[in-house]
Amino acid sequence: MDAGPEPKIVGFLCNWCSYAAADLAGINRLQYPASVRIIRVPCSGRVSPLFLLTALRRGADAVLVSGCHPGDCHYTSGNLVARRRFAMLKSLLEFAGLDEGRVNFTWISASEAADFARVTTRIYQRAKDLGPYRGALRKESGVPRRE
Amino acid sequence: MSKQEELRATARRLLAENRVDLILGYTAGTLPLRTTPFFARTPAEADLLVWNAFCEYNLTNYLPRYTGNRVGIVVKGCDARSLVGLLQQNQVQRERLYVIGIPCAGVVDRRRVALLAGGAEITAADITGGEIVVRGRGFEKVLPMEEVLFPSCRRCRYGNPVLADVVLGEKVPERKETYEDLAALENMPAVEREAYFAREMAKCIRCYACREVCPMCFCKQCFVDGTAPQWLSRWVGTADNLFFHLGRTMHLVGRCVDCGACARACPVGVDLMAFNRKMIKDAEALFGYRAGLDPEAHLLLGTFDPNDPEPFLFRG
Amino acid sequence: MIIAKDDLPTFLDGLLGTYQVFVPLADGGESRYVPLAPGGTFTWQGVNTRKPPKEILFPQSEVLYSYEVGGDRVELREHFDKTKRVVFGIRPCDARSFLHLDRVFLEQEHQDPYYRERRENAVMVGMACLEPASTCFCTSLGGGPFAADGLDLLFIDLGDRYLVRRVTPRGEALLREQPALFRPAGEADRLAAREAEEKAKSLMSPIPDLSGVKPWLDAGFGDPLWDRVYEKCIGCAVCTYLCPTCHCFDLTDEAEENQCVSGVRIRTWDTCAFPLFTLHASGHNPRPTGKERFRQRVMHKFRYFVENWGEAACVGCGRCIINCPVNLDIREVLREIMARAAGAGVSA
Repeated sequence: MDAGPEPKIVGFLCNWCSYAAADLAGINRLQYPASVRIIRVPCSGRVSPLFLLTALRRGADAVLVSGCHPGDCHYTSGNLVARRRFAMLKSLLEFAGLDEGRVNFTWISASEAADFARVTTRIYQRAKDLGPYRGALRKESGVPRRE
Repeated sequence: MSKQEELRATARRLLAENRVDLILGYTAGTLPLRTTPFFARTPAEADLLVWNAFCEYNLTNYLPRYTGNRVGIVVKGCDARSLVGLLQQNQVQRERLYVIGIPCAGVVDRRRVALLAGGAEITAADITGGEIVVRGRGFEKVLPMEEVLFPSCRRCRYGNPVLADVVLGEKVPERKETYEDLAALENMPAVEREAYFAREMAKCIRCYACREVCPMCFCKQCFVDGTAPQWLSRWVGTADNLFFHLGRTMHLVGRCVDCGACARACPVGVDLMAFNRKMIKDAEALFGYRAGLDPEAHLLLGTFDPNDPEPFLFRG
Repeated sequence: MIIAKDDLPTFLDGLLGTYQVFVPLADGGESRYVPLAPGGTFTWQGVNTRKPPKEILFPQSEVLYSYEVGGDRVELREHFDKTKRVVFGIRPCDARSFLHLDRVFLEQEHQDPYYRERRENAVMVGMACLEPASTCFCTSLGGGPFAADGLDLLFIDLGDRYLVRRVTPRGEALLREQPALFRPAGEADRLAAREAEEKAKSLMSPIPDLSGVKPWLDAGFGDPLWDRVYEKCIGCAVCTYLCPTCHCFDLTDEAEENQCVSGVRIRTWDTCAFPLFTLHASGHNPRPTGKERFRQRVMHKFRYFVENWGEAACVGCGRCIINCPVNLDIREVLREIMARAAGAGVSA
């Protein structure tokens, strides 16, 4: 393991696919970074931009949203609606100065355990390379911490 | 007849014939370079309406308050696009509205005028032809109008209202829409851009004038005011301010028409347009979408195309 | 006393050893109070700063205390700000606002120790207004362009020098720290100051007589005036957050992300303009629309505060007029009230 602080990664995973893929990765004994904190959501369409902003505001160094492949949504079109939102959100956050690599979106089906392990490992490596997120959303201009 | 005379005559007639309960328009303000929103309810009051390049307010912001009334409303090009947005989102009923469109060549950026005038107090301002003459204690300055128009106006393609029951006066020439305003920011290294926005956000006092003046911000409760969950702290500082403005920008994706009302309302001069402009540019580039043109269209983020691009996708 | 203009930077620099010094600084079309750096000076853009100096004593956000739960006890630590400060260049209207803030925070049964610590450690140095703006109406509210209420020292610009009026012993003590820079004022200096004052007063817009406002408001709570006068108000906090006398605040606890065992209690400005200000937990809101909220602002400033303290909570600085996003002008509202008062035969 490299030196340096371990990144915190928050993963918002769709219950019907990517969450199951994470499960399957475990069953198959595929290693993926323990730095990924998984939050199960009913659909990638459920993920509000405010979720990602909050994760970054409160300590995440990178975030991941993963849903079903287009066409496979349990609710028919939740991920298709989310897709437009994510396109705009990622562009906005990077325009606001967030490093590329801190906000990640992908599609992983329930059977793609190996993909899950690979994607999260790559995200982990990129987050580790970037170092802890100390950007404007996290500036210590927020509420001062207890002394 | 000048546009203002035409406006008064139209408003008078609408009120006299009882076709509307009130006219939402502009009247003379109490400060130079300003007008003020005006709610005319009688034919006599209609004669107090004014039209000039100081009519900077987007009056469609008031419409959701008057859903029980038949309203006549004065709209510029950008305001008409906001109105389309409100119709798309069922915030107003078309049949209760009488839309008085006025082709608009741009409104004056009063802060820019003040800056160009050197900072001394301006006590009078007149527009004659293509120039604005400002006066104060012991000075007079003449500025070309094109130089003092609000930035949104200088790049506005839709000066002629896209929706109106009557259009007063001649059409204005269509301007070229550009995204040159974004180039400097886009070409900056990310770390410099972040520093720029951090400085801007540090100015914000969270008075929410940007939100309150925005016709698209009609939520009954804004996410910043909720307590379960509490999205952001009451602490006013760079981080929470940025959270607010990013959250607001996302809520305006596909709805903001670049009317600039937020930037004009901001008392501390935060660069409020950059985020929205970036989203407007992306919406057009990625999805060929422009807000506020078609009342029947779905909202950008309320629909999808199976073949939408996936520029953001991370495949590891 | 008299100080040469050339000596002012030396005077300000000399304060930096003991005090944090705030001065107005022109920046991008406005001025604001900023901490003075060594060798720095003050510059004005416009008659007054965009934001009042209120926030130096009563910041928009501040930590009152921090807490930590451990075992069977809770440890509380209060955060007092005892920094010694000099605020230089305060306009007389803003200076007057400190008297109003003092009443609210200090002159009642319970004192506000956070405000008190800052107030007692701050020396207020004013700068008389030679050229009031057209939006200024301090003279309608008991102030004036050369008024010294709320100040420790008042500087009057006489061209190449300042005449310095010593208002309080604290102000006098500040001058004594650098006695070499000051000489006693002569008759000519005093005459020049009087002339400048007369000129400044002559530049003020005619004084509206506000004596009928309070009596009308006493009976005017249900008047139809309120149905229309607020109509263009968009409900933002520009007028209240930029007001030197507005002092309403909110308290919230900010827990750290550690199962709430520690955190801070913060105080932040709040405003009657927001629905959240009066929203009850039940969902009921006693001020449900902009009408009630706008009425509250006028009532608090020109009726309740007068009842409690004998003066209106307004100093006539004009910030709410200049900065209102829709040009809702408080002078117009007061004029309308005065017209109604005259019509109803109400008088002071």
